[in-house]
Amino acid sequence: MAAQPSAPRPPAPGPRYRSEALEAFDDGFRAAGIDFAVFLPDSLLDGIEQALLARGEIPCYQCSREDEGIAMAMGAFLVGKRPVALMEGSGIGLSALILARGIVQRTPTLIVAGHSSTLGERYDYHGATRLVAEPVLRALDIPCHVLADVGQIRTAVVQAQHTVEGQRIPVALLVPPFVIREA
Amino acid sequence: MNRLEVLEALAALRRGVPLVIGPGLANYPIAALADDPLTIYNMDMPYVTPTALGIALGWPARRVVAVEGDGSLLAGPGVLATIARYQVRNLIVLVFDNGAYLTTGSGRATTATSHGTDVEGLGRAAGLVQACTVADLPAARAALQRAFAEPGPWLIVAKVDTSDRDRAPRDAPLPVAVYEAGLRFRRAALAQPALFPAAPAAP
Repeated sequence: MAAQPSAPRPPAPGPRYRSEALEAFDDGFRAAGIDFAVFLPDSLLDGIEQALLARGEIPCYQCSREDEGIAMAMGAFLVGKRPVALMEGSGIGLSALILARGIVQRTPTLIVAGHSSTLGERYDYHGATRLVAEPVLRALDIPCHVLADVGQIRTAVVQAQHTVEGQRIPVALLVPPFVIREA
Repeated sequence: MNRLEVLEALAALRRGVPLVIGPGLANYPIAALADDPLTIYNMDMPYVTPTALGIALGWPARRVVAVEGDGSLLAGPGVLATIARYQVRNLIVLVFDNGAYLTTGSGRATTATSHGTDVEGLGRAAGLVQACTVADLPAARAALQRAFAEPGPWLIVAKVDTSDRDRAPRDAPLPVAVYEAGLRFRRAALAQPALFPAAPAAP
């Protein structure tokens, strides 16, 4: 009897995100007056990005590379927008020059980046990602805050945006896996 | 055709359109002929077009121009796909293709376009329809006039020679330093209430 072709397999379920974390980011962006978002998809932040797209209240654009996205955010700032750039922490490694330019020309953006150097990094393939973000931010004296609890998210977003606007500098929030994803 | 001639044509059409210029010699003719607060000079490569894209997305009612070099665009060509993805109708990307890193050192180092790379082809492959290459001044003027009159996004690749290299006043100061230009630009943008009815007050 001839072998039957196997039925197409359904896509594997993706990561499960903590709904309270997604809501807190959404609430925080709205409270901070964020009105422009740019992102490169990342497994930790995909839930936030898909929620932004689905809700449709904040214009949200997907870039081709993270440093391109930061430049887009800075362009939007130039015309009065309050942008946020979302990416994996590795993207900060690609973005040193545009971040430096943003500091020099006073065109900041809020940054939300997945991963941190310290908390919950189980996988070897995130080794470079883990290493690169915080040193780049420190080298440029860009403030960054590692979120440690869902309860911090809304306040951190709002307060980070206050610093972006008040000091005209980029500010980064780093999101470890356990804050955004279900175990 | 050289870069200066094309920039003179652009300056005549500009009328206060926001403009982002890459590093190098193109800055000086624009500064001399058509300075405007809505100008970012000497943007680091490859962030000219992405910055202009962000301005265009944030200000859809206004045409925006990116003035690129071939080397700068080739350092970040993915932005062409992003522009095409969102069909940013108010964005014009003008690329000076002289086949060299003319501002850099001796100016003898060639770009990939001297070895077959086709920037218009890259743009079309990325999904841009309004893409053209112009090799003489009448064609450049006609392309710019269309780009300022018709919806884009536009990619205009101007094949220019290197005869302007020794004519640019490299040591002449630009109207604003890099650390002033962002402040000047944003204040000018926010001061246009007809285009930003709900804009926050300038600090």
